[in-house]
Amino acid sequence: MIIDDSRAMRSILRRIVTDLDFETSEAEHGQAALDQMRAGVVPDVCLVDWNMPVMDGYTFITEVRANPEWRDVTLMMVTTESEQRQIVRALAAGAHEYVIKPFTPDAIVDKLSLLGLVPA
Amino acid sequence: MSAVLPEVEVPESGDVLAVTEDVWMALLGDDAMLVPRAVPPGTPFDATAWSAATTISGGWQGVVTVELDEALARRLTTRMLALPADEEASDSDVADAVGELVNMVGGNVKSLMPGPSVLSLPAVAAGRAAFASDSALACRLDLVWQDAPVRVSVHVPQEGPR
Repeated sequence: MIIDDSRAMRSILRRIVTDLDFETSEAEHGQAALDQMRAGVVPDVCLVDWNMPVMDGYTFITEVRANPEWRDVTLMMVTTESEQRQIVRALAAGAHEYVIKPFTPDAIVDKLSLLGLVPA
Repeated sequence: MSAVLPEVEVPESGDVLAVTEDVWMALLGDDAMLVPRAVPPGTPFDATAWSAATTISGGWQGVVTVELDEALARRLTTRMLALPADEEASDSDVADAVGELVNMVGGNVKSLMPGPSVLSLPAVAAGRAAFASDSALACRLDLVWQDAPVRVSVHVPQEGPR
């Protein structure tokens, strides 16, 4: 699931992961993503922006981690938030990986590989 | 760059340029480079433009603005959305893409400055950027990409040091 308020950024990420044979769903903010998951669309991995309206990515991560049924969902922040303090907060809240925008397609592939979601 | 308020910490123009180049290369590729453009101080952005701004508040305060030539804004949008060559981006699409552009530049400028700070959601306009009367220019980059002008600005509050 690609969670970002920018359609353009969702498009970029969708092309990258589709090339890796992922099927994708999209949400324009954390609340919309949670709504989809509560309706049964539980993804293997979420690519999550931080700064979004309605519900930001950090809150989304804490909400997902509060639900034991979603413990197998892998969470990867993809954000411009590059302060060390923010990275530590996100990882402490339950994010598995962190990618700072702008990124190259290879950076996304490398992180998904580190997470065991694509072949190394 | 003109550091209007010496007591307020401002980003180095070289650092802002490096951030902008990184974002540009990621979004538009490296087939053309951003090159400097000589523009006298105080000159308004001279192109039919799109502009976008994001505000940084907290440990450091400032506003990062990107102004783009219309054609470049549409090219950026076409590239980000991977639209077919014969499909024109809508104004809504351009606003989205230009907003994401300033989000990336602003977020990385934030990382250069003292924190912790918060980055606002982008504000996008079809037209020249508006600047608050109580802000002062701290950094301005006038650039050209494939004959299209680009301006990146950082403004800081005129009030005293924090």
